[in-house]
Amino acid sequence: MIEGIRPLLNPSAVGHLDELRQYASPESQSEEAKKGSTPTHLAPENLSSDWLNFLEYLGPHGLSDLSRRNSELSRQIRENGVTYNVYADRNSPIRPWSVDVFPLIISTNDWAKIERGVLQRVRLLEQMMVDVYGEQRLLKEALMPAALVQGHTGYLRPLHHVMPSGGRHLHIAAFDLAHGPDGQWWLVAQRTQAPSGLGYLLENRILVSRQFPDAFDAMGIQRLAGSYRTLIESLKLASPGGKDAHIVLLTPGPYSETYFEHAYLARYLGLALVEGGDLTVRDSKLYLKTLRGLEPVHGILKRLDDEFLDPLELRADSMLGVPGLLQAVRAGNVLVANAPGSGFLESPALLGFMPGISKAFTGETLELPALATWWCGERAAFNEAKAYLKQSVIKPTYPGRLRGTGGAHSSIAEEDFEAVLCQTLSDEQIQGWIKTIEQNPHKYTLQSYLPLSQMPTWMDASETMPAGIIPRSMMLRVFAVSDGVDSWRILPGGMARISPPGEQISSIQRGGSSADVWVQATQQRDTSTMLNRHFDLSVLESRKRLVTSRAAENLYWLGRYTERSENTVRLARLCLQSLRADERPSTSLLLWLEKIAKDFRLIPEEVPTPEIKEGERSIPILEEAKTAGPKLLNIKNLFERTLIDSLDKREGVNSVGFNLSALEQASYAVRDRLSQESWNLIINTRRDFTQSAKSWDKLPEGSSLYALGALDKTIASLAAITGSQSDRMTRDDGWRLLSCGRHLERLGFLTTALEMAVECQTLNHLDKDTSGFNALLTIFDSTITYQAQFQELRGLGPLLMLLIKDADNPRSVEWVSNALKGRLSKLAGSAPDELTAMASIVPNQADWSLEKLCQLDANGEFTNLKKMVEAFKVATWTLNDAITEKYFTHTLESEQSLSA
Amino acid sequence: MLLNITHRTRYDYDPAVATAHHILHLTPPNMIHQEVIAHSLNIEPYPGERRSSVDIFGNISTYVAMNSAHEFLDIVAMSQIVTNVPAINQDTLTMDWPIEWGQVQAHLEYRAEAKWSEAVQYLFASPMVPIHSDLKDYAAISFNSQSTLLGAVRNLMERIHHEFIYESKSTDVNTPVLKALAQKKGVCQDFAHVMLGCCRSMGLAARYVSGYLLTLPPPGQARLIGGDASHAWVSIYCPTDLETMQGVWFDFDPTNNKMGLYSPGNDYVTLATGRDYSDVSPVRGVIQGSLEHTLKVEVTVEPF
Repeated sequence: MIEGIRPLLNPSAVGHLDELRQYASPESQSEEAKKGSTPTHLAPENLSSDWLNFLEYLGPHGLSDLSRRNSELSRQIRENGVTYNVYADRNSPIRPWSVDVFPLIISTNDWAKIERGVLQRVRLLEQMMVDVYGEQRLLKEALMPAALVQGHTGYLRPLHHVMPSGGRHLHIAAFDLAHGPDGQWWLVAQRTQAPSGLGYLLENRILVSRQFPDAFDAMGIQRLAGSYRTLIESLKLASPGGKDAHIVLLTPGPYSETYFEHAYLARYLGLALVEGGDLTVRDSKLYLKTLRGLEPVHGILKRLDDEFLDPLELRADSMLGVPGLLQAVRAGNVLVANAPGSGFLESPALLGFMPGISKAFTGETLELPALATWWCGERAAFNEAKAYLKQSVIKPTYPGRLRGTGGAHSSIAEEDFEAVLCQTLSDEQIQGWIKTIEQNPHKYTLQSYLPLSQMPTWMDASETMPAGIIPRSMMLRVFAVSDGVDSWRILPGGMARISPPGEQISSIQRGGSSADVWVQATQQRDTSTMLNRHFDLSVLESRKRLVTSRAAENLYWLGRYTERSENTVRLARLCLQSLRADERPSTSLLLWLEKIAKDFRLIPEEVPTPEIKEGERSIPILEEAKTAGPKLLNIKNLFERTLIDSLDKREGVNSVGFNLSALEQASYAVRDRLSQESWNLIINTRRDFTQSAKSWDKLPEGSSLYALGALDKTIASLAAITGSQSDRMTRDDGWRLLSCGRHLERLGFLTTALEMAVECQTLNHLDKDTSGFNALLTIFDSTITYQAQFQELRGLGPLLMLLIKDADNPRSVEWVSNALKGRLSKLAGSAPDELTAMASIVPNQADWSLEKLCQLDANGEFTNLKKMVEAFKVATWTLNDAITEKYFTHTLESEQSLSA
Repeated sequence: MLLNITHRTRYDYDPAVATAHHILHLTPPNMIHQEVIAHSLNIEPYPGERRSSVDIFGNISTYVAMNSAHEFLDIVAMSQIVTNVPAINQDTLTMDWPIEWGQVQAHLEYRAEAKWSEAVQYLFASPMVPIHSDLKDYAAISFNSQSTLLGAVRNLMERIHHEFIYESKSTDVNTPVLKALAQKKGVCQDFAHVMLGCCRSMGLAARYVSGYLLTLPPPGQARLIGGDASHAWVSIYCPTDLETMQGVWFDFDPTNNKMGLYSPGNDYVTLATGRDYSDVSPVRGVIQGSLEHTLKVEVTVEPF
């Protein structure tokens, strides 16, 4: 077994600790390695016992199977839609998350040290918060520079002398640790504002443990669920709401780089995912805007940076937060985790002062050392550190995460820069840096450079390299979470952040990867899950699912775009089929198709009509075609060509691709409410369609057939999406609005299509015009129903009966209006079975008899039909406005900052 | 001097504002050089919530929440103040206050076991005032190595007063300092911000003062700029004892080229102090639901 691994191993970089062997090769051995002979320290016998153990469980079969497992992992990440939005804006690509197949295994000895050291440090951080927002002994006794508190934007003056709800500032803290060549763990950075990772690491755990279930069980790897549970329970207890408190997860929104994680955590923890606009402060209390009105909120788990929390007292140029939130915090009416104002703790400059602070506060020596750190603003420290610049990393004292925000605060954000690894600089560059630092010393912090340990990662075979285990540099992020009133626990696991091959700095932003972290249980394994929570049954009964106004709006549009996608796909398919059909399409059908395709903006307005028979109709654009005669065929081709070309276009048309993307975006914003399957369906449908569009681009000849194939497939996928929407979603008000959106869209499409059929006289010769008749049935997806009811009978009467009056045909005006009325009457604020004012906006088709509808007036026009269709069309607009106003106005309200 | 102040702020909204939150800095505090005889703050329509507190800078701030729809907001602050600014001799200033700016800068700088001073918090960049080499370069001319603190700062004030053009509407409340410095143009707020940035870039503690100035001067005296609106100037920390870092604040008004201990003069009233305008704006708020608003501000300061 051990032998099997030998050919897969590669040496780690000189001077870095090799996690597999817990050994760093010193500089002198590099010569030996160059000579090509396998150095003794590479022998598999020298692997650490934990890793040997792991490989043992893997077995020879497991070893030979790693490539398959790796691709299985990637597939699952794609399917689960685990993403990281690198540049955090709506136009940049959303990147799939990356996790290595190997976990990082931490020895029980090391973990015990980390646990003790981190616990000690997080307690100290809490004490520092209490002091800085209280008596400020730290500053008065010069235990740390005021520049790192009062000169840091993370110190929030409006919260001075405010004791947070529950008497505690910090509930979650992340610590980035490096494993040095001598095996010592070092603290590199600490995060308290809105640390990311708690969601990703959970997903990593699920994916990786599934790959190695035997090893995971047999090695007694500590589980994680208990820590999450205890965190949420502690938050509730610390909040003014007590154990039944209503806690929400506050996100900056879908364009945040870690939005995936926000949605994932919200779902996992059972919290509502909200944006600032969903919350409001009244009487210094916090409320969630829901369809049923304002619901009290007692706690916020925040993923928004502090400065953005309240435009009234903090940054006025951002509307991501909640105006008045700090009033509610000050009044003790809401718990915010972590308490706003901990940002200053994240400055690397602080690390150099913490040993002294610990001594002064507790008399203790810090067990987990931090990398040697010098704040350049302290003259003596900088003078001392200058000599070691070459072995240091230059970091910004005030790292800002603000990108291009401009406005009044940009003066501070400009100070941000990327960490500089000085060993890569020339002497001249070093001198340049010294000059720069001396200009504004307080902005710079020096930290001694430490070669990061390298952990095994799996590399699939490539053209130049066989498959194998490649050591890559990693940094470990561990989390301390609140565990009761005054207590902490360290989450037994974490996230290893892996550098891109050959790079020294691990950054997920710069194309790094991640790994699950395995910690073995020393005593009893924690077997709690998020599921077996003990509920008070009375609470359980009173707990109804809250639908925020914003979620409601997105669900409504999700419904509309699902239906709209389906309609445009069906329309595009009908156009292509009609142009290709053996049976020659009638002129009125072609006119109708053109009109409706342009109305729904499947093709640009300026594309000429597919075919006009000489003398029947005259269109200026066709003047040339008339004289040219044979060119008519080309115009038909032009129409078809444009239609196909436009299918996946995003500009100038509302193409199939455009609608599928809109559908995806609407669902992205309500991800926490969709099942994994629904989400996958939506993502895959859009992706498959775009891929097909690329392939038919290259094949102009058979493109119509390819396009038809893709459209057929998309129709099937959309049917599945619709199915999952009606089958797998809770029937709450959110779902009702989704359904309203869908039916409103359908009613709009139906009536528009009928209106145009009247205008193009498609209905006038149905007995003769087979193509037109069939097309109408196809576009309303009613061919089968028609045949079942009327068989060979063909005519306007049966057609209108089916499309307007039939209460059993889900594509008829009657059926759709009934469905709409039903949903509306059950929506929030309506008494059961009462036909609300909103539902009464929908006209009643029974007001027009079938006989009347089929009547032609003296001018040969269907006046009554036209009137009916018009009435419904207007109703769809009115209803859309009414729904928007009643349910979504909260989110549409414009917010402005004033100053005088 | 006994002064009567009326400060009215009126917003008209279209359409009506649904909900709004405001923070007001319109109540002057009692200070060593001024006594508040009477004060009232009237808000219409009647706010759903109203609460006053003292902020971290020692200012009185009033939080106001409007929980129902309203088409206007009318805030009237009226105060009666007695000012009593100690006289200083401008001609012997540098002899009376010989402390050098370099000493002050060195004592404010952090080092282990350094003495603490309340003024330290005004050393750093603030939301609207960066510390920047452009500001440092502009300031440096006034700060010779041997200059006294007050001499150097007074020189800086005089330069700003003479080299900058006062031009209303050349800037708005969000104009960046560096732009005002580059165009050498602005209103009192910009002058104050530039001067703050200069002093802080030299390592000195400087704060922003929002306040009032007598609208119509006594007969025979020139009318000063800024009397018909709220005014702004700066305050510089001057230690009186380097060992204990005890000290006093000297106020400098670069708009009118006036300075004094605690206040530029008896015709000035201090309303609030902070790091810059963003800490002490007289009326700050967030409104929801309205698209357009018009703003009218009227200030009258008269001798009683």
